[in-house]
Amino acid sequence: MDPSRREFLRRAGVLTAGAATIPLSEARAAINEQPPRRGGDPERRYAMLIDLRRCIGCQACTVSCSLENRPPIGQFRTIVHQYEVAESDGDGVASFMLPRLCNHCDEPPCVPVCPVQATFQRRDGIVVVDNERCVGCGYCVQACPYDARFINHETRTADKCTFCVHRLEAGLLPACVESCVGGARVIGDLRDPDSTISRMLREHEDDIRVLKPEMGTRPHVFYLGMNEAFVERVDGQPGLWFQPEHAAEEATA
Amino acid sequence: MDKTRRNLLKGGLAAGGLGVFAAGYAGPAVNAVRGLVRGTAGVPTQDRIAGNALPPECRIDPETGAVTMAEGQVVSLTQCFGCWTLCGVRARVDTTGNRILRIAGNPYNPLSHERPEDYTTPVREAFARLGGESGLDGRSTACARGAAMLEQLTSPYRVTQPLKRVGPRGGGRWQTISFEQLVEEVVEGGDLFGEGHVDGLRAVRDLDTPVDPESPEYGPRANQLLFTTGANEGRDALVRRFTFNAFGSRNYGHHGAYCGFAFRAGSGAWLNDMRKYAHVKPDWEHVRFALFMGTAPAQSGKPFKRQGRQLASARAEGRLEYVVVSPALPNSSSLASQPGNTWLPIRPGGDTALAMAMIRWIIAHERYDARHLAQPGPAAMAAAGEPSWGNATHLVVSEPGHPLEGRLLRGSDLGWPADGDDEVFVVADASDGHWRAHTAAAPARLFVDTTVTVDGSPVRVKSALQRLREEAERFTLAEYSAECGVPVAAIEALARTFTSYGKQAVVDAHGGLMSGNGFYSAFAVMMLNALVGNLNARGGTALAGGHYPEFGRGPRYDLKTFPGMVKPKGVFLSRSRFPYEKTSEYRRKVEAGESPYPARAPWYPFSPPILTEHLASALAGYPYPAKVWINHLANPLYGQAGLRSAVAERLKDPQRLPLMVGVDAFVNETNAFADYIVPDTITYESWGFTAPWSGVRRKTSTARWPVVEPRTARTAEGEPVALESFLVAAARRLGLPGFGDGAIPDADGGLHGFHRAADFYLRAVANVAHVGEPVPEADDDDLAVTGVTRLEPDLTGILTAGEWRRAAYVLARGGRFGAEPEGDALPRWERGQCLWNETVAAKRHAVTGERFSGCPTWYPARLADGSDAREAFPAQSWPFRLTAYKSNLQSSSSIGSPRLRQVHPENPVGINRRDAERLGIANGEAVMLVTPGGRVSGVALLRDGVMPGVLAVEHGYGHRELGARAHVVDGRETPHDPALGAGVNLNDLGIVDPTREAPNGWVDWACGSAVRQALPARLERAT
Repeated sequence: MDPSRREFLRRAGVLTAGAATIPLSEARAAINEQPPRRGGDPERRYAMLIDLRRCIGCQACTVSCSLENRPPIGQFRTIVHQYEVAESDGDGVASFMLPRLCNHCDEPPCVPVCPVQATFQRRDGIVVVDNERCVGCGYCVQACPYDARFINHETRTADKCTFCVHRLEAGLLPACVESCVGGARVIGDLRDPDSTISRMLREHEDDIRVLKPEMGTRPHVFYLGMNEAFVERVDGQPGLWFQPEHAAEEATA
Repeated sequence: MDKTRRNLLKGGLAAGGLGVFAAGYAGPAVNAVRGLVRGTAGVPTQDRIAGNALPPECRIDPETGAVTMAEGQVVSLTQCFGCWTLCGVRARVDTTGNRILRIAGNPYNPLSHERPEDYTTPVREAFARLGGESGLDGRSTACARGAAMLEQLTSPYRVTQPLKRVGPRGGGRWQTISFEQLVEEVVEGGDLFGEGHVDGLRAVRDLDTPVDPESPEYGPRANQLLFTTGANEGRDALVRRFTFNAFGSRNYGHHGAYCGFAFRAGSGAWLNDMRKYAHVKPDWEHVRFALFMGTAPAQSGKPFKRQGRQLASARAEGRLEYVVVSPALPNSSSLASQPGNTWLPIRPGGDTALAMAMIRWIIAHERYDARHLAQPGPAAMAAAGEPSWGNATHLVVSEPGHPLEGRLLRGSDLGWPADGDDEVFVVADASDGHWRAHTAAAPARLFVDTTVTVDGSPVRVKSALQRLREEAERFTLAEYSAECGVPVAAIEALARTFTSYGKQAVVDAHGGLMSGNGFYSAFAVMMLNALVGNLNARGGTALAGGHYPEFGRGPRYDLKTFPGMVKPKGVFLSRSRFPYEKTSEYRRKVEAGESPYPARAPWYPFSPPILTEHLASALAGYPYPAKVWINHLANPLYGQAGLRSAVAERLKDPQRLPLMVGVDAFVNETNAFADYIVPDTITYESWGFTAPWSGVRRKTSTARWPVVEPRTARTAEGEPVALESFLVAAARRLGLPGFGDGAIPDADGGLHGFHRAADFYLRAVANVAHVGEPVPEADDDDLAVTGVTRLEPDLTGILTAGEWRRAAYVLARGGRFGAEPEGDALPRWERGQCLWNETVAAKRHAVTGERFSGCPTWYPARLADGSDAREAFPAQSWPFRLTAYKSNLQSSSSIGSPRLRQVHPENPVGINRRDAERLGIANGEAVMLVTPGGRVSGVALLRDGVMPGVLAVEHGYGHRELGARAHVVDGRETPHDPALGAGVNLNDLGIVDPTREAPNGWVDWACGSAVRQALPARLERAT
């Protein structure tokens, strides 16, 4: 057993099946002390731009990701939230679609909290989980301000979007991008000034938003066409997508 | 609009949402401890970083772009059947496991790609462009459902063995039998179920004896075979070949009449096409304003993905403004793209009123395209430089009771000498008012109301546009507004906006118009296109480019005609495309001095065969009973509003319909009543060709071929049991023409046998490959990367040496696709538009005896006896109206896919927040949805995107079958999951028309399409 694992086991010794938490404050202390990035191509920085004007809420990304990455049924690495929202200058109601996934932050809060360094950031910016190291403690799940992580209840390890790193490395597009019917999702290399994503970020500089910028996480999933008011949370009628048993969670979310 | 000024709605409790993305923290502590002890947290993954992700199908070298296919995977280009758009897809096939790993879009197919790959690009090169930066523009997609449909292949609910019922129909008890026993029993009949003798196909195939000697027009007894199918999912040519031309029955039906037929009929009335009911779609590249009524791109529509992408591109590029008119907010709406798109709520069934109000306003304010409407024929159109012409200026005989009433005035009526064979219509010259032939190259007067002399008598005639104005003026804008719930100011603003873009404004419609006045609703909505003159115009309405003739008399093989083929005769079971006035029944009544009206049930003189009437008619025996029903894929008992209530009990009675055979890979709500189930292949296991319904301007034939080996049982000859093997075996046993030896003529006069599916379909592929300039020959690499190599034995064994590599070229690319047409090559609608359709006007309603109006006009939702449905179902008892909308996720048959179902497991009942608060109904509360036709329980979802007074139900849920309940096969319970039955099926709330003698679901009084919009309803709290 390596030292970090041993250290975690020592601290986790207080755990019982009935006491499911360790104070997160302990873990949070380390948020801005990012360990060195490792693996991946240092000449690249992958990021995603989502052009919300093009999103039609079809969930092709959601299902394609699910089939590609095969998380358990009911657990999602990406999904499109759909809301009904109103405008101030009339009675109008409109649809608002918000695709969600791991933001592959430049200051990922999930990484420093990992007691075993199973979750780490590659030099190309992709935040990944080493399934062979992960102990499934769930710190990273708690640390993520975007609810982008979950404990995969089949593998019992932390799970999240990898930007389909296995496909990127094969020269292919992530499942969600290649299946995006409206052409909303754009992935690319920020270090390449000629990439589509670099061009679009320059072209629409004033209209680009990220989620929860005040968290200081520097997300690398960028939104075009995002209402400023939705950056923190969408206060609309969330929509049509889940079973009523989740309603209670929603009310407190 | 300043985006920061938006006032967000305060969302109360929601039926789901953000919580799920966060769900997943449950129980980690236990795992953590276990992980620390074992050194890993749980089940090891295939890759430490990628987890259990699929192995990539290939690698693309970033420097050279060279594609190296993965060991054990091919990428096969074939057809999707997740819905009726029937896109071309690419399937990643695990060749060792005989399964499909994932599905995306075929890069060559215009239904999956806005700007598809050039057809001659080598396949490997096309694959290379799907990756990296080029892949962003090059992406060819599958929708959520299309991606998930691969799960059907290995579904535990699938039927793979022939089944024969044990016990009563619909009881869910079966025994497996051999394919050979199945064919013998269905063909020969006998005491098959211990219930007495049942006629088999052999006894029914009598081409000589009239089915009803009193009514010889009904045709022969062979018409007592009813063959229904979903529609053309690629194999329709074979079903028609068997039914019409081999067996000789007239009775074939598909789901169109409970899908969107009201729209097609109304569109056909506008385009003067009451045979094929042509329809158009917006020219998405150039349209500047679009009005969507009864359709919602990005939510649904055919083509679903292509239009979704076109809408996304048009609004992101700022090219398009649009208004979507709907009782419930659809996905077409986009806050992120505002301003420029608006949702306009409307009462269900209010579309006719809105359209007629707009017509009234447009005419009153002279906002119509006068120059366009004034062109009475092709010559005038050409002289004026207009893209199309119509009969706005033609004269309608408007003399009540005159024998010619409702007909357009011909030159011959005025005694003009015949000008060749063509009839000319009479118009008033625009400049001097003199009568001219519509063929003159000059404009004509728009508004005419005068008297002419026909056969010496004065006859009132009015121009078609005059008639339309009079019909529109029957009600005021305020009255129309009260009917549709759209404020007068909004109607005026919409009419003004719609007429502010010249010909670059379009109104598009589809199945959302399926109300109790569906036909006239669609006709009225389409009339708005006529008034702005957008047909064939750049940025206006555009026609589809058609397809390559796959199953016709092709350049290599004749798949349409064959030695001994039968021409079916007689009246359709659905009493359509045949006027009641020509029946023996009518004649007998007249001869007896009785009023010929009402007929025993409605007739549909301008409708095609409609499945909405086939079944109820067959069970009622009017016009005649059916003896055998073969149902392939169709699911009317799930899909047709009110049908289940109307006929389920009758269907259980073998006396009424002695033999029923279902052909499907799953037991659906309809085939649950079958006597036999023939297990069918899934899309990816079988052959076929499909074409876009509309919305694609390049010529397109999407090919489908077995990319995996079928998982069904085998026949004694080693063929997979499926629709094809069943029809071939039955036909051969019956000795029918068109099957067996010498059944397929080639272009050189030779004849070939039809013993296996490949004998038929591969020859269709050869036809497609050789139409016009033949396609190139596929090279070995095309075959290898796509897996077509597997088909080589059949390709070389069935086709000639000169044919097979060209056919393989088509299969490797998933079809044949032409170049995008431009200029003169663009498909055009050449016929004149009808402001007055005399085909419609010439007919009478068989129950009321009244004439059909030849132009759009407002009617209430009507029952079969012509009465106003609001009298039967008054608003005091039924304060709500239901609206049904198509799901962007589920089709009628997709519920069995777990990866699809997880996204949206059920369909809550949408209710306006204020209505719910008034009724004391909370979000997520169980409710009882009640109509005069039934009650179903559901869950309320409080929405601001639902109009007050409306209850909104999404299609695709509330299944009873497809795996939702257990059947018993050979004494063992089949796998099932009640979760497949979650939610509400709106069609279970459909109404049985109380005015009919024999029960049927409520259908449109004019064209027979199912009534599922604007059903009267109320909501009760569940007790």
